[in-house]
Amino acid sequence: MSEKFGVKVEDIFNTMEERFRPEGAEGVDASFGYDISGRGRWKLTVKDGSMKIEQTDDLGGCAAVIQADADTFVGVNIGKVDGTAAFTSGKLSVDGDVGAFGTTAKLFKRFTPPKKELTVGEYVLDMFGTLEARFQTGAAEGLDITIGYDIGGEEGGQWTARIKDGKCTVTEELVPSPSLTMIMKAKDWVELMLGKVDAVNLLTTGRAKVEGDMNLATKLGELFAKYTAPGEEEEEEQELLVLKKIISVNQKFATGPVMGKYLNGLKEKKILANKCRECGRMQVPPREVCALCRIRCDEFVEVGPKGNVRLLDTAYYASPDPLTGETRETPYGLIYILLDGCSGQEVFAHFLRDDQLDRIEMGWNEKKGTIVRPVWAEERTGKVADIKYFEIDE
Amino acid sequence: MAHRKKNRNVGVIGVGQTKHSSHREDVNQAEMIHEAVREALDDAGLKMDDIDCLVHGNMELFEMIHQPDLWHALGTGAYGKNTFRLTTGGTTGATLFCAGDNLVASGMYDVTMVIGFEKLQEGHTTGGITNMADPLWTRSIQTGALTGTCAYDLIQEFGEERANQVAMMYRIIMDQHAGLNPKAHRAFGLEWDQMDHLIKTSARLVGELKIIDMCSQSDGACAVIMATEEKAKELSDNPVWIRDHITVHREESFTMLGYDQATVPPLTHKVAAEALFKRNGISKPADYFDVFEMYDPSSWWGVDWLRAFFLLEGDEHLKLVEEKEIAIGGKIPVNPSGGVIASNPIGATALVRPAEACLQVRGDAGPHQIPTPVNHALASGFGGTMWTVLIMLEKELGW
Repeated sequence: MSEKFGVKVEDIFNTMEERFRPEGAEGVDASFGYDISGRGRWKLTVKDGSMKIEQTDDLGGCAAVIQADADTFVGVNIGKVDGTAAFTSGKLSVDGDVGAFGTTAKLFKRFTPPKKELTVGEYVLDMFGTLEARFQTGAAEGLDITIGYDIGGEEGGQWTARIKDGKCTVTEELVPSPSLTMIMKAKDWVELMLGKVDAVNLLTTGRAKVEGDMNLATKLGELFAKYTAPGEEEEEEQELLVLKKIISVNQKFATGPVMGKYLNGLKEKKILANKCRECGRMQVPPREVCALCRIRCDEFVEVGPKGNVRLLDTAYYASPDPLTGETRETPYGLIYILLDGCSGQEVFAHFLRDDQLDRIEMGWNEKKGTIVRPVWAEERTGKVADIKYFEIDE
Repeated sequence: MAHRKKNRNVGVIGVGQTKHSSHREDVNQAEMIHEAVREALDDAGLKMDDIDCLVHGNMELFEMIHQPDLWHALGTGAYGKNTFRLTTGGTTGATLFCAGDNLVASGMYDVTMVIGFEKLQEGHTTGGITNMADPLWTRSIQTGALTGTCAYDLIQEFGEERANQVAMMYRIIMDQHAGLNPKAHRAFGLEWDQMDHLIKTSARLVGELKIIDMCSQSDGACAVIMATEEKAKELSDNPVWIRDHITVHREESFTMLGYDQATVPPLTHKVAAEALFKRNGISKPADYFDVFEMYDPSSWWGVDWLRAFFLLEGDEHLKLVEEKEIAIGGKIPVNPSGGVIASNPIGATALVRPAEACLQVRGDAGPHQIPTPVNHALASGFGGTMWTVLIMLEKELGW
């Protein structure tokens, strides 16, 4: 049980099958582990649009294992805890492929806790417990009154609401001769407050009695806001709309002669740099001028195609490629290479072959990093993807 | 770098901010901006009629609205007024601040309001940042603003254990500051005993850059009102004076990752700090300033840049963090607001820095006010590919 939210950890798992959305499972073929501290481990297997959940200590073969305490896990599942915040602050962690785990968000409809039915006694306590909070100051101007509630039966009790100076105080007693006293059984009182039976009906059948100022009785609806049971939605507010748009624009960019020469070179499997006449630095890809010396660079030099890796930046974050909208496979490696013929900071950025991420040594000062070579695309049209990626030169 | 004395002095007389948050579906952009504008006007005790000129800015690629200042006139009050629009990437907010100062100092306008905003949930941040890269080559390679290079640098220089410890200490200090700032977007309530656990388990984004290290994506707006010395004294009991500011730009390229110590390219933060402090006769900025609101996109960058901005040597910047001198109550509190890691409505972010610094100088920051008097404040802005805006604020005239 998550004490905080009144929902059992098991409830989340036991309802997974009924909450499963086959449309959200399209293309998912993996197992996911759940390690809920102190409560146990579960394994979810999704394949061919169907799922299986089992409680087991063997989480082998899972693409990702989520770890959290019961409150965090339940809170996220019932929408009371922000999953991103829990993940960021470390209350919930994922061991394994975080990107794969992200796909589980689409697999299930949200868990909604079953509504708990209160007993008559619990209702009565809650109704009087919330009476002060439901008091409407605006309707009580100039009033100095007491309202007595004599609620009979084992689950009943006696209360007095004192309204004076725009304030309402509720005490658990019946003061002598209130301005108005209402007398009925607990069960009838609860049904009246929940709107299951109306006051006239109760009065005519003799199930309820009102003593004192009858005019006040008709004002009660203004003095107190309508009772809503715990967990029930408040009166629906105006719906706020969010308009969804997707912008898709066909664009074409002129390269100019300098980038054009470079991109044309790629078609011939040549990597061209250009050299600043003033400071001597090489720029690859070439740029029209040297921004430092502010002079035109027109001397082209073929560099590489091999080079040594100065930096490997491994991306684990499954971000969408903004150019295609597709989520990139993670992890992937972005490498900064000193191509043969370049030196110092004259690095060239490109991607590393996916399966070589853990085999790269990075260069530092005189020390050379792993030597890599480009793998060219079959069809080359003068663009980044003409080089598929770089791979270790072996 | 050329620098002339100002034509006339300029004081900040009003500051307004929204509560920064991950979701503001309850208001549209104009309405959200209006919250900051309203607060700034109330803070200054002014009405729109008193404002001569507005400067509006954000990163339009995020929400994909061109000239959003037209729609936003409903919330900014710009109708019929001189209005300029600026957008300079991550530095937008700081550029707005500098532009407002320039417009008033020049004599063109007496009272100017600058407004920065972002509603990051209405667009795609990583897509927006990537689309700023040149479309001929870099755009296909870049992944937004995420990179593990700074963590790599610190680990190379100071060793894995110390670098990780310092970065996480910085992170926890910022989170504790954010916990004191009712306007901060994220405050997790991180505790010191979580340090090792977070270092080990927080999910890695790129290289050693972990999700806990990185700044938030927020919705929010900030507005600042500035006036000439004469007007500021007439309208305000506690104007904060804009002493000086500097912007250092850079070419768009990543030719800084060759890891060859013989050819290290200058870091714009350091170039900016050296030039700004030299022309103002300040040799030890960490001693001179009482507070620093820094644009810190991640805890690693936050740690690393202390050295550049304060012109420190060796591991002095690490010691500032390790000895908690950057915490509220320390020698030089950094980001009492919680900084950018806590709240990052990008087009407003770099304006929130001098805005928060002004509140510190006035003593009006509330629960995150630093306990000692603030006479001299520093604020920075940062934009990719690595450029810098640095701003100096003073409590008294006559520097």
